[in-house]
This record gives sequence, C-alpha cells and structure tokens, in this order.
Amino acid sequence: MVEHPASFPYLSCMLLSPVVGLCILLFMKEEWDFLIKCVSLVSAGLSLALAIFTFVAYDKSLGGLQFVEKYEWVQTFGITYFVGVEGLNAPLLLLTGIVIFTGVLTMWELDHRVKEYFIFMLALVTGVFGVFMTYDMFFFFLFYEIAVVPMYILILVWGSTRKEYAAMKLTLYLMAGSGLIIPGILLLYSTSGIFTFNMVMLHGVKFSPWIQKVAFVLMFFGFGVLAAVWPFHTWSPVGHVAAPTAVSMLHAGVLMKLGSFAILRVAMYLCPEGFVYWKQLMALLATTGIVYGVFVGLAQTDLKYVIGYSSVSHMGIVCLGLATGTVDGLNGSLFQMFAHGIMTALFFSAVGFIYDRTHTREIHELGGFSRIMPVASAFFITAALCGAGVPGMASFWAELLVFIATVKVYPIQGLLAIAALVVGALFALRVVQTSFFNEPNPKFVHFEDVSPFLGLPRMILIGTLIFFGFFPQVMVSLIKTAVVPFLQGM
Amino acid sequence: MDMMLFGPELYFLGAALIFFCLTLKRQVNPKTDYQIALALAAGGVAVTVLCLFQQGELFFKAYRVDLFSQIFKFALALGFFLVVTISHNLSHIEARYHAEYYLFLTTTTIGMMMLVSAVELLTIYVALELSSYSLYILVPLRRGDGIDVEAGIKYLFIGAVSSGFMLFGLSYIFGATHSTYLTDIMPKMAQLVQSPIGILGLLFSLAGFFFKLSVFPFHFWAPDVYQGAANQVTTFIATASKAAAVAVLLRLVALGSSYGYSFTQVLVLLSIVSMTLGNLTAIVQKDFKRMLAYSSIAHAGYFIMGILTMKEAGYIGAVYYALAYLVMNFTVFMVLSEVAKDGRDLKIVELAGLWKRSPILSLSLILGIFALAGVPPSIGFTGKLLIFTSAMNQGYFWLVLIGAVNGTICLYYYLKVVYASFFMDPGDLPPVPISWPTRVLNFAMVVIIIGFGVFPDQVVRLAQAAVKSVL
Repeated sequence: MVEHPASFPYLSCMLLSPVVGLCILLFMKEEWDFLIKCVSLVSAGLSLALAIFTFVAYDKSLGGLQFVEKYEWVQTFGITYFVGVEGLNAPLLLLTGIVIFTGVLTMWELDHRVKEYFIFMLALVTGVFGVFMTYDMFFFFLFYEIAVVPMYILILVWGSTRKEYAAMKLTLYLMAGSGLIIPGILLLYSTSGIFTFNMVMLHGVKFSPWIQKVAFVLMFFGFGVLAAVWPFHTWSPVGHVAAPTAVSMLHAGVLMKLGSFAILRVAMYLCPEGFVYWKQLMALLATTGIVYGVFVGLAQTDLKYVIGYSSVSHMGIVCLGLATGTVDGLNGSLFQMFAHGIMTALFFSAVGFIYDRTHTREIHELGGFSRIMPVASAFFITAALCGAGVPGMASFWAELLVFIATVKVYPIQGLLAIAALVVGALFALRVVQTSFFNEPNPKFVHFEDVSPFLGLPRMILIGTLIFFGFFPQVMVSLIKTAVVPFLQGM
Repeated sequence: MDMMLFGPELYFLGAALIFFCLTLKRQVNPKTDYQIALALAAGGVAVTVLCLFQQGELFFKAYRVDLFSQIFKFALALGFFLVVTISHNLSHIEARYHAEYYLFLTTTTIGMMMLVSAVELLTIYVALELSSYSLYILVPLRRGDGIDVEAGIKYLFIGAVSSGFMLFGLSYIFGATHSTYLTDIMPKMAQLVQSPIGILGLLFSLAGFFFKLSVFPFHFWAPDVYQGAANQVTTFIATASKAAAVAVLLRLVALGSSYGYSFTQVLVLLSIVSMTLGNLTAIVQKDFKRMLAYSSIAHAGYFIMGILTMKEAGYIGAVYYALAYLVMNFTVFMVLSEVAKDGRDLKIVELAGLWKRSPILSLSLILGIFALAGVPPSIGFTGKLLIFTSAMNQGYFWLVLIGAVNGTICLYYYLKVVYASFFMDPGDLPPVPISWPTRVLNFAMVVIIIGFGVFPDQVVRLAQAAVKSVL
C-alpha cells in the first residue's frame, strides 16, 4: 500500500482533541456545568472539523494511505504508532465525529454527575477514533478496549431500565470477545516471523492456511461480539435500552461498527484464506441475524427495544456485505456502516428526547404523539423511514449495493434477507402509526416541542442522511478507492 | 570491596539500626517514628537509584550486583517507601510497637534485597529466610481478635513447609552437581533436567518462591494472611514481596532453560491452575482484601507464564509486569487503607459511594482496578500483553487462550469494586478526608499507571538490558 506522510499531524490532533478535553475536565469543579459542556463540545467539534477535513481533503486520484504518521513505539516488541486514512476508514472517522458532536449536544440537558459523564464519554471517543485510524495491531487492540470499557460505567450510572444487569452483561460479553481477539492477534504476530504489529507489513506475510483459519475464526467471533453477530448479539438490545441517550447513540452508531470494521481491517485483511474458508458461515450467521432481528423486533413494545433489534438486523446486512467478498458488497457494507450509524444515532436521539419528557417508551402509551410534539416525532419518523430503506436516504443505497452483491453470491440468503427487510419495513410503519398517529395520550398534552437549539443535533443527523441519500457517489467513490485494491490484495 | 556495590543493603542496615534504637525508647511517639521512617525510606529510594548502574561481584562470587538486581532493589526500596507513606494511620498496631513495625519492615526489605542479588544456593536460602522471618513477626503484630494469630500461624506453617521443600530440592541439585554456585550449576543442568532428580530438585527449590508468589499449591496462606495482617503489612506482602519472588524465580528458572520439556509442562500447569483457581474463587469474596488475595493468586499465574517462556521477551515481560504489579497493587491498597482509616477489614460494599466521599480516591481505585484487570491504557494491560506475546512466540497457544479467557472472568469481580465505588449509594458512610501528601501520591500513581502504560519503551529497554545478565 502506498503511504503518503502527513504534512501536519492531523490525525494525532483528531485523536488528542478528546484527550486534552478530558484532561481539562479532570481539573474542573463539579459545579461548573455549563463550562464542562462547552469544553466537551469544543473538543468534540475540533475532532469533527478534522474528520471532515480528512474526508474532503483525501486525494482520491492519489489513493493509498494518506495523512500517515509513523513513530517507533516499543522497538523490542515491534510496536509502532502508525495512523493513516484511506477509503475504508475515512467515512467512519467522519461518522464518529458527527455522532460525538451531536451526542454532546443531545446531552446538553444532563444535570447528574455531569463532569464524570463527559470524562468517560471523551475517553470512549478517543478509543473509537484510535481504532479507526490505526494500522498497528497493538494500538488497534489498545484503542478497542478503551472504547469498550467506559461503557460499563456510563450505562451503570446514567442508564435506565435494568441498567446494572445490562452493564455487566455488555461488558462481560465484549471482554469475552477480547479474550478471543488476543490469541488471534498474537498468533499472527508470532507466526509471522518478522515480529511486528504493523498490519501493513503483516499483510505481506504469507501465513500458512491453518493459521489463517484459526486466527480468522477467533477474530471473527471476538470482534463479531461487538458487531452483534448472531448468536452473540444478546447484549446489544439490552445494553442499548439501558444506556443513556448519547451513549446509545455512540454505541449503536459507532461502537458496533468497530466490530465489523475490525473484521474487515484485521481478520479479512490479514487472513484472506481464512476468510474464504469461513465466509459461508459468516453469510449464514449474518442472514440469521437479519431475519431474527426483524422478527424479534416485531414483538417489542418498547421503542428502544424496537431500535435495538433493528440494529441487530442492520448490522447483519453489514456482515452479509462483508461475507460476499465482492467490490459491491464491501462498498455497500462500508456505506451501510456509515448510514446505519447516523440513522441509529438519530433514532436514539429522538427517542431519548421523548423519554426525557414522558418517561415512557411504550408504543401504546405514546399514542398520537405527533400532535403534541410534531418536530420531535418527525425526527423519529425520518429515522424510521431511513431504516425501512426509503429511497432518498443514505441507507437505501447501502442496502441496495449489499443486496445486489449478495443475490449474486448467495442467492438464497440474499432473498431471505430481502424478504425479512420488507416485513421489517411494514412493521416500522406500524410502529410509527401506533405511537405517533393514534389518539394523543392526554397525560402528555402539556409538553412543549423541541426547541431549535435542542433540535440542532437531530437536524445535523437528518441533513447528513439526506445529503448522502442524494449524493451517494461522494461516499461510494471514496470507499471504492480503497475497496478495489483491498480485494486485489486478498 | 567497593562500598557502592553493597550500598543499598548497607543503607537499609543502618536504617534498621536506627529503628532498633527507636524501639528502645521508653516514651512512645508514633508521630516522630513515622517521620523518621519516611525520611529514611525516601533516602533508601535515592540510594538505590544512585546504585542503579553498579556492576560487580562480592563475597566469593556468591553475590552478584548487576542491572537486574539493582532494578529490583530499586523496586523494593520504592515498595518500602510507598508502604511507609501509608503508615501514618497505623491505628490497628499498638503505638508502642510502631518502631518494631518499621524495624521488621526494614529487615525484610534487606532480606529481599540480598535475595535478588544472591547467586549461590545457600545465600539464596539465608536471604529468603531473613525476609520471611521478619514477615512472620509482622503479620501477627496487628491488634485483633484472634484472626491475626490465625494468619500468623498459617503463614509460618506454610512458609516453613515450603522452606523444607526448598531445602530438599536444593540438596538434590547440590548432590547432582557438586556445587552451590548458579554459574557452576547452569552448564550441568542441561543434562540434569532430563532426569527425574533434576526436575524434582529444581521444582522443589522453586517451592520457597512459589510460596512467596502464592502460586498453586502454595497459595493457601494468601487469603487469611491478607485479611488477618494489618493493611500496611498486607500491602508490603502484596507488592514488594512479590517483586522479589519474581526476581529470584527468573534467576532459578533460567537453570532449566537449556532444555526441559516436562519442567515447562509443570510450570504451564501451575500457571493455568493458579490463574483459574484464583479468579474463580475471587468472584464470591465479600471482603476486599480477601478478594485481592485471590487476585494475587491469579496474577501469580501470569508471572509464571512470562517466566516459563525462558526467553528474553518473556523475561522482559515478567520484569515489566512485576514492576507494574507493584505500582497498581499498591494503588489499590493505598485506597483501601485510606478508606479503612481505623484499620478494619474493608468489605467491598463499604466502598459504596466513594466517588462522592472522595473523588480522587475513587479515581485512583478505578485506575488501579482496571490496571489489575488488564484494561488499557494502563501498565497492567501493557505488561499482560507483553507476557502473552512472549508466551505465544514460544507456541503456548492454549496457555494464552486460557489466560485471555481468565482476563474476562477476573473482570467480573473487579467490576464489582467499580460498581460499589461508582454506583452504590453511600448511605451514612462518612466522607474520606485525605491530606495533601496523599493527594499528591494519588496523582503520582495515576500518572505512572497511565504514563508507563502508554509509553512503555523506556521501561522495556531497561528490563531488556537487565535480563541479559540473567539468561
């Protein structure tokens, strides 16, 4: 892979911006609510700005790895600090930037242990940025864990609905996943013969088939836990329901993508033969996840559970796209990671707002909510339309690409998945109808609608969805610059 | 003889003399005792730093001073200093015994310092006993309701049994090689390790250190002693004592490095049983110190994992992790002894609402606990990964897999601590006021845990230079 060194450490700044914000917060007084939120917003905003910059400034004609920074870290063990941007991770960095920025805005009304909340949230975001930009397996795993562990405290302290159970379940599931990842990564490290964690260099090593098979399956399941691959998805709806709004946004929007991205970045990139061997299983599990997510979602009455299960099925689409191993499939899969991230963030953000006011998420209790809060409801409805794959929204293109690829490679799984999504779409419309267009619940009539300021983060999310819905080429052409060489290298 | 070579030991011997004089005083003044101890301990750290790059041999080559031993002497002096810093509220040890407490703490440190330098079997044994006997006295020093006596006796008995095993093993090695010098034994071991007498001799000789490190099957004392001894004494046993044990194990196990499939297989087994047993038993513990005792048994398994690779990378990992373990375990114990100011045994639920009662302590606690659990960015994570990496390089796939799975199990009980301190309602538990030196100490620990976890290069290089002299 061609590497173009950075003229200025943009990526390190993107990574350090939350860290600096976090350090400033450590020394602030608990009572300075407003200032704390401002600091968080500024550091998140800086990261977002840099993410947009790298997304726009990435030179598609040049291709390869750009904005590269590389320093020896621990020479004895072959660890390098190695970050860069290419078509695969540029969209995801942008996604992270958008979600964290809107996430901070969404939590503007928080008044319980504000300082600690933002400290942990910024720590988590640092991890996410790190995973997406690093090309060294040591740092990859380090950031991966940093992104996972603060969740426990975030859910435990600021969550709702069975939060203790959910927090513990989520953490143990994800750490069990890490327990599989470590041997997988180290197996590749130690059998490579060059003793380096640098993934680009490891890519050049020809591992023997059995090592690829073992390492791939370990990493697929290990990372798959975070990507909510069926049957290791059970932590995800429970966790999303329990988490506070911005954490749900971050978690469903960004963290789950860490899992699927890692499968692509580490497992498929380093173990191509392992991928070929296991891809049937991948496709099968992904399809099961899609169908299962849709049908279990049918039975839910809590809005957050509905979204939680729809996430399971949408992440199934991501995995299915990866399993095809074709240009279209990978394009769609990466696009879907981005689109689903924005969409779920919008979903949770909208539900969070409604829940903060009404303290219920029961579909039947909400009744005709659109008459009471038309704007807040519109946010949810837009997200639901996007989830149902309505044209003009970003996820339409993503799902289309994945399904085109899947029907070619795995016809049966592809058709099953499409059928399930149609059912899902019908259901989404029914949920919207019951909770927003029935008779309004008199208990809630006195509530005021979203103020323009609080509506701002949701507007940003909707804007992004529609922008990429109308101009999918902006995204696809960027992703393509990386996917084609990626598949040629396999 | 160059005095600098023996500098740290001489310094601490002098300190022991001063403490001995203090014990003779008629009127008791714990406050001055503490201040003197603090000053002497700080001086000890300085002396070990000054002597860090000494090289040489002493006492008919029975005593080797090299980077390896000096690093561990520094670690011991640091451990001693840290334990003394949290000894300002020794409320559970009678005031008239405070000087004795410092005295025996110093003598056990001397013993351990000699231990890490000793390269002759008898010297090793004598040094080990010197450090052990002081601890046998320190454990029951606590004013208690019998639990201290039980702990003291248990410690003494299991310690004596393991010493017996060790002597037996040493006699085998001596009998087979006709030498007590490690340098002479080393070349002969290659052949010997293939015979039962060699394996048994080596394994039994390790028993004394397995005891100190609380490796299965010499772990029975750990929970009772951790709980029964005074918090500060437990801290010392859990930090400095472990570091010394790792150091000697590294020297001794290197004897088996030339060959020895069955020898490493035994170590693999001990490692697996130790970590699994420790972690599973820790889950059900309610007492904080007992839980930490079981966690130390589990950590002994990780140390063995680094040691049994018998390669440079594994030794680097083990040295790094020993230093890391000292820091992170101390951090947790510091919080423990600050919260339990009256010296009582702390239940995990008594940590409830610590974020409100003392935010800074809860920050240190969470970092220390996460470091023990091996969560990044902390020295615990980096150390564990280095050890896993070296074990994998030697082809111990299953060992690493089991170690990694254990990492998940242990998270459950570590998270219970986080749960208590961050989420549970404090109820009527009082706030924990802390003095500014403690505050500084807290920040220092936090910085070390994160700083060396993210930037491990310097420590790794130092460890690399150190283990060169052992292998």
